Amino acid sequence: MATLINGIKKEKIMGRASILKSISANKPALTALPEIDMKVFAEEINLLETFHKNVALVGGKIFELKQLEDLDIEIKNRYPNAKRIVSLLEESLLGNVHLDELTKPQDLENVDLAIIKGAFGVAENGAIWISEAQFPIRILPFITNDLVIILPKKDLCLHMHDAYDLIASRMRTFGLFISGPSKTADIEQCLVIGAQGAMSLTVLLI
Amino acid sequence: MKVGLFIPCYINQLYPKVGIATLELLEKLGVEVFYPSGQTCCGQPLGNSGYERDAKGACQVFVENFKEYDYIVGPSGSCIHHIKEHFDILEQTDAVINVRKNSYELCEFIVKILGKTKLGASFPYKVGLHKSCHGLRGLKLGSCSERMDPYYSTEEELLKEVKGLELMSLTRKDECCGFGGTFSVFEEAISTKMGKDRIQDHLDNGVEVITGADHSCLMHLDGLLNRNNQPLRVMHIAEILNSSI
Amino acid sequence: MDHSELAEIFIKNEEKVNWHDKALWFVREKRDAAARNVKGWEYLRELASGIKSNVLSNLDEYLIEFEKNAQLNGIKVHWASNAEAHNNIIYKILTQNKATKVVKSKSMLTEECHLNPFLESKGIEVIDTDLGERIVQLAKEPPSHIVLPAIHKTKEEIDVLFQEHLGTKPCNGDPQYLTNEARKHLRDKFLKADVALTGVNFAIAETGGFVVCTNEGNADMGVHLAKVHIACMGIEKIIPREKDLGVFLRLLARSATGQPITTYSSHFNKPATGAEIHIVIVDNGRTEQLSREDFRSSLSCIRCGACMNTCPIYRRSGGYSYNATIPGPIGSILSPGMDMKKYSSLPFASTLCGSCTNVCPVKINIHEQLYKWRQIITKEQKQPIVKKTILKITGIVLARPKLYALLGISVRWMLKYTPRFMVYSKVNAWGKSREFPKIENGNFDQWYKKRKNNG
Repeated sequence: MATLINGIKKEKIMGRASILKSISANKPALTALPEIDMKVFAEEINLLETFHKNVALVGGKIFELKQLEDLDIEIKNRYPNAKRIVSLLEESLLGNVHLDELTKPQDLENVDLAIIKGAFGVAENGAIWISEAQFPIRILPFITNDLVIILPKKDLCLHMHDAYDLIASRMRTFGLFISGPSKTADIEQCLVIGAQGAMSLTVLLI
Repeated sequence: MKVGLFIPCYINQLYPKVGIATLELLEKLGVEVFYPSGQTCCGQPLGNSGYERDAKGACQVFVENFKEYDYIVGPSGSCIHHIKEHFDILEQTDAVINVRKNSYELCEFIVKILGKTKLGASFPYKVGLHKSCHGLRGLKLGSCSERMDPYYSTEEELLKEVKGLELMSLTRKDECCGFGGTFSVFEEAISTKMGKDRIQDHLDNGVEVITGADHSCLMHLDGLLNRNNQPLRVMHIAEILNSSI
Repeated sequence: MDHSELAEIFIKNEEKVNWHDKALWFVREKRDAAARNVKGWEYLRELASGIKSNVLSNLDEYLIEFEKNAQLNGIKVHWASNAEAHNNIIYKILTQNKATKVVKSKSMLTEECHLNPFLESKGIEVIDTDLGERIVQLAKEPPSHIVLPAIHKTKEEIDVLFQEHLGTKPCNGDPQYLTNEARKHLRDKFLKADVALTGVNFAIAETGGFVVCTNEGNADMGVHLAKVHIACMGIEKIIPREKDLGVFLRLLARSATGQPITTYSSHFNKPATGAEIHIVIVDNGRTEQLSREDFRSSLSCIRCGACMNTCPIYRRSGGYSYNATIPGPIGSILSPGMDMKKYSSLPFASTLCGSCTNVCPVKINIHEQLYKWRQIITKEQKQPIVKKTILKITGIVLARPKLYALLGISVRWMLKYTPRFMVYSKVNAWGKSREFPKIENGNFDQWYKKRKNNG
């Protein structure tokens, strides 16, 4: 038994040790990590307009609410057939599926609509950062049939470099940049909106 | 300035008209042109086939023939590119370094070194420009469609000034013709398909004469045109720039 | 069969070749449009190239840093020297978790290691959940493109395939209907899977986290439903800092498909409560490629596929002509290092036009490496005797001006006077579809001599 354990241990160490040894022997002389000159990417553009344009480009819908109170009306108008709704937004009263510590990911299989808050948007590609800080069960934004993200329109940055600055001091567990609804062009390059994840994404700006 | 005229091997043997046009054009532009008669070939066909070590002799003959000139000018982007890039297999003597540095493709020499674009040429036809890859991407004779650089084209600068010449716009501006040296023989099916597609692009866009700075590409397209009896002809840019009515 | 033989077969169906060529050219054009929209695109490429150079020069340190930080966050890290070890490690994790059903999102590494047939031989169901990969899986074919696996299949072919395997109704290849049906079929698989496998687009040394990018959401659908997530990565997928993702995520999707970013760029740092994340770090010939000074930068590849879309040969010969896990230009500089004999024709399947080098987001000098591989292959692999002899003799002749002059005149004489049926015989590959130039008058040497003599 001891030799078997030692054998397995040896194999594990061999893999790691031999790979690292091989790299050390074969790697080239050290070249410095380049520093990024942000000035090259600086642009005087209207962040809101660009974000609008790109959310639409990636297949999302985007709308600016005149007031926060219009939220539920707007959502009900857009998704009149949604029955099982998860809302992670205090400001919305539409939620009727509640999540707690006992909720298993599979339980969310029949969720029609999920409403969550986005942290910020990225103008250059219409992406929004959302993380476990915004939704406690990781499968939610993917398994829901449709997704609504509420985003304060002042919380926009220009490009991904700025985006990574904004999330640099977060607690790192799980998060993602989400850009539009799920999609595929795997069948003869024809774009189909709605693949395995959410069939639609609506961004409501406040 | 003393200019050594480099006539690529296949132009010498198969398309001497192009060499003649190149020489006449340079002389018209007031250049003192010398033609070293012991020249053979730059060695590119061997290099591209994986035998660059067997081309060392040919490369050395080239350097011997051209080392005493201020500029070496040749009507072939791919050959000049080969000299500049792949003569690194020779010991880098002063002669080798100078030959590599001072070799120019014809159009680039005229525009950059002579500083001329208006050559008094006349060619009243619809012309399609084939931007040969080694000249375009290798020698940077122009910007290419896949890079985000400001637009420029050495050949177009010259063609624009030719009287009566109508430069037609192609659908794919700089796709490879499929010659690729021995590729044309060892991957014959793909090579001819690529050539056929290039020709079709020119036909679709009303071109009467296909031109370019590399006659290897044009030779390949010419071979296809003639086999298929298509209503197009090819002419090296030297012949167009040297023509007047 | 080598590339030229396989390509000749593919090319016979000209309609299909034209369609394949146009489809991929369209993707290349979308890439161009997306790149044009980015201020400083060429600078971004320069940065990406510099970051990857730094990574390769410090790879062991970064991997150690990555492992440490990943483990601190509860991620289990495994190391596999080769494909066999990779497959065994995964199988072990599966048996430890009594897993029989696995869902897998796109990972060319698992394709390289032939993971699917291995697991299936052990009685484990593996479902490829990327739509393109599911299509080729049902068709029992390998992917033909690393980003668009089913690019070679028409919608009518997919219609028939889904009728057979998914029980769909005939629909004239309606992509919307077929995608919807696939969604239902895959949803069922996601819900029943024990373990989810993914690839890794980028692993971050600084944080011990990694990123998986998809458009369909299939990676996330797998990993957030299953209890165990196994992520497979080649050693070269490491990047130093999280902020470097800013560079790579701006380049990746634009280069691959022309989108500004994939729908989902999921950042994994810690497993969810009650779930497990495993990472398998794989060598499988990469450290050997690292030792090759001329070719090591090929390890910078971020698997975007842009080189394939721009390559006029790939578009007209299809991925299968390369007979390699990774086809196209990048595949032609990676594969000979792994098996020179099998892949010796690949570096020659190119005109060296250089377009691939220009679209590569990390600026790998692909066309120069293709040239360099050719020099090595002719030395180390037995070449056809006729080709070798002709080229060596040519080298000798070209070094002797008088001999060359004689040969020139002989060739011209032969072309001019040899009967057509002899010139354009079966052995003449040039003459199969092309005419030779017409030989008239003398060559340039003769013309110049005459002119000199005439004063």
